[in-house]
Amino acid sequence: MKKLLSILIAATMLVCLFAACTTPAPAVTSSAPAAVSETPVSEAEPEPEPEPEPETIDLKWALWDIDLTVYYQPLIDAYVAAHPNVTIEMVDLGSADYMVLLSTQLSGGADFDVLAIKDIPGYVNLVRQNHLEPLNDYIASAGIDTSLYGGTVEQIAIDDQVYELPFRSDFWLVYYNKALFDAAGVEYPSNDMTIAQYDELARKMTSGEGDAKVYGDHFHTWRSTVSLFAILDGKNTIVDGTYDFLAPTYEWVLAEQNDGICQDYATLKTSSTHYSGVFFNNQTAMLNMGTWFIATQIAKIKEGESKSTEWGVVKYPHPEGVPAGTTLGTITGLSVNANSTKKEAALDFLKFATGPEGAAVVASTGTIPAIMSDEVVASIASVDGFPADDASKEALKVTKAYLEMPLHEKSADIETILNEGHDNIMTGNMTIEEGIADMNTRVGELLGN
Amino acid sequence: MTANIPGAPQKRGLSKKTIKENLIAYSFIAPNFIGFAVFTLVPLGFSLVLSLLEWDGANPMNFIGFGNFEHMFKDRQFWRALLNTFVYTAGVVPATLVSALALAILLNQKVRGRNFFRTVAFFPYVASLVAVAAVWNFIFSPSKGPVNNILHALTGLDFKALPKWGASKDWAMFTVIFFSVWKNMGYYMVIYLAGLQGVNPELYEAAELDGANGWQKFRNVTVPQLVPTTFFVLMMLIISSFKVYDIFINLFAGGDNQLTDYTRVLVYQIYNTAFRSLSYGYASAMAMVLFLIVLGITLIQFRGEKKFGE
Repeated sequence: MKKLLSILIAATMLVCLFAACTTPAPAVTSSAPAAVSETPVSEAEPEPEPEPEPETIDLKWALWDIDLTVYYQPLIDAYVAAHPNVTIEMVDLGSADYMVLLSTQLSGGADFDVLAIKDIPGYVNLVRQNHLEPLNDYIASAGIDTSLYGGTVEQIAIDDQVYELPFRSDFWLVYYNKALFDAAGVEYPSNDMTIAQYDELARKMTSGEGDAKVYGDHFHTWRSTVSLFAILDGKNTIVDGTYDFLAPTYEWVLAEQNDGICQDYATLKTSSTHYSGVFFNNQTAMLNMGTWFIATQIAKIKEGESKSTEWGVVKYPHPEGVPAGTTLGTITGLSVNANSTKKEAALDFLKFATGPEGAAVVASTGTIPAIMSDEVVASIASVDGFPADDASKEALKVTKAYLEMPLHEKSADIETILNEGHDNIMTGNMTIEEGIADMNTRVGELLGN
Repeated sequence: MTANIPGAPQKRGLSKKTIKENLIAYSFIAPNFIGFAVFTLVPLGFSLVLSLLEWDGANPMNFIGFGNFEHMFKDRQFWRALLNTFVYTAGVVPATLVSALALAILLNQKVRGRNFFRTVAFFPYVASLVAVAAVWNFIFSPSKGPVNNILHALTGLDFKALPKWGASKDWAMFTVIFFSVWKNMGYYMVIYLAGLQGVNPELYEAAELDGANGWQKFRNVTVPQLVPTTFFVLMMLIISSFKVYDIFINLFAGGDNQLTDYTRVLVYQIYNTAFRSLSYGYASAMAMVLFLIVLGITLIQFRGEKKFGE
């Protein structure tokens, strides 16, 4: 039946085509969502009920990795406790290619109400496709104070219109294995480390051979684990179109890789090694990773999977001349499906989950919420299993966080090119110069178009 | 492959009976044809139209004529993907064909445990791609895998000097071709085995009487008798090689589901363009190129089938 419907839609689109073919596709604009109601997709759907039945409202929430994520259920439980007439069903689309899948599902008319937004490129694409409900009016009418989010809401506005509110705001830290440092008789990393000091420490901590080898640090195969050290000085961004500033960072990490200080990228990539396993099994002294790993590490110690039971966190290494606490940030947001028939209820849940009450729930699971305050920091640090030392608590205080991927109309394409360049450089398929030249050319072409 | 349709009209004036028979025949074809129309024909037509448009999947479509095709000529990534697909095809097709034939001839002999070995040869084909790709990635892992450890022990070379296989621009294609041959040869072996059953034993007897040795029998009896089978296998292999996607993703994509210049194939490029870059029109234009290639091969196959089909 659904297939038949999509055929009908396709046929309608063919007809519409001739009417629409002279109108140029608008760029990302705030007025674009109005067009949604004119597409055949919503025509084929039943008219939204004027007033949803107050007794029961069933919301559908699209998200990823239910089993690995500790705060979805607590958020739902807390909300449903206050709104017994609401049920919230989670739909897990998996984490690999989540945003692509979400966009495809929404284009096919999926009946999700609340949408978890995983990354900026995917968010921009969804806005371009008019899948997301604009939130400015709601923010104003519901009295949401966007200043609580520490400036992130302004960074995700597209033509002054906001389409998501963050409920998690992760930033990057260094996780270290205290037992390995104790065994080597090396002092723990500090909350104020330059990148050069981090490198020095990693080299000191590398020991052993074969299966018993302990690596000084570990760079997961994501581009962000390596190349984004280069944006911490605030002089360049990843959407500029020229990437010569990445060279020193790649030189540093390739030298470590060459000297056996960190594991070889090609091996990690072909074996699909997950960074958590490397840290759990005492194979690395230090790991640079986002705060999302805190909750996982705590949970896996309790389950006995993580053998790195004595651990701590410190602030991210920073370039010379940049204050400690400068780090990378990434936000996870919630949006409402522009085609949802239960927008009011969906918006109310969004307000709860992204607001102070939701932040308290998220923090209680050891996860960093988007609204940070001293109480929230204290709450995370007091989670059972969080390292007890003062340095680890101090590490949670951020001076400045640069978004991993700033908002840009072409961020999805830029990201693809940079990821390929990263792969080519890290596997040695291209020299650093060739890899960067390739990025410059291709992103240049993209932005020139 | 093709079924004979009963009641095909012979005369101009159709009798009532013929019409009735025709309708019955069509009603038998209908379920299949409706499925084909809904899931293949309409999307194909839609894709053809899309290839002339600029469309992100939601906003109004924009007619740009052959703009997508013009862009394609200048698009280095597209050509690279096309080149990689051709290289892959050029490697996989002959290698699979020869290995499948060799296996089929070996396992057509009356040897002990023949069925067991046939099963062994067929197993990779039915095994889950995700699972066996993970195993291969481990086997060919640059520093931990058995292949490089054996090479290291034999040659004494440092791991850095050994090939990085799937992660290296020079060896990635070789690795994936090797994998693909291993994975699929069992299937084509079965087709060849069926073909071998069809060879008339009297031909071998006659050849023996003429004093032919094993090679001569293979060269002058088996090979000519297997031409129709070989032709079919060849076409199937070429078509599936052009449509390849899953093997590359499972062997090379890693956590971010991305392929690089050295491993990017046409279908991946189409997927990426459509769903990551949201350029449905351009992706459809590329899909049209793929379609034309596959269509061309299929037409050759239809002609060949007439020639070899007897």
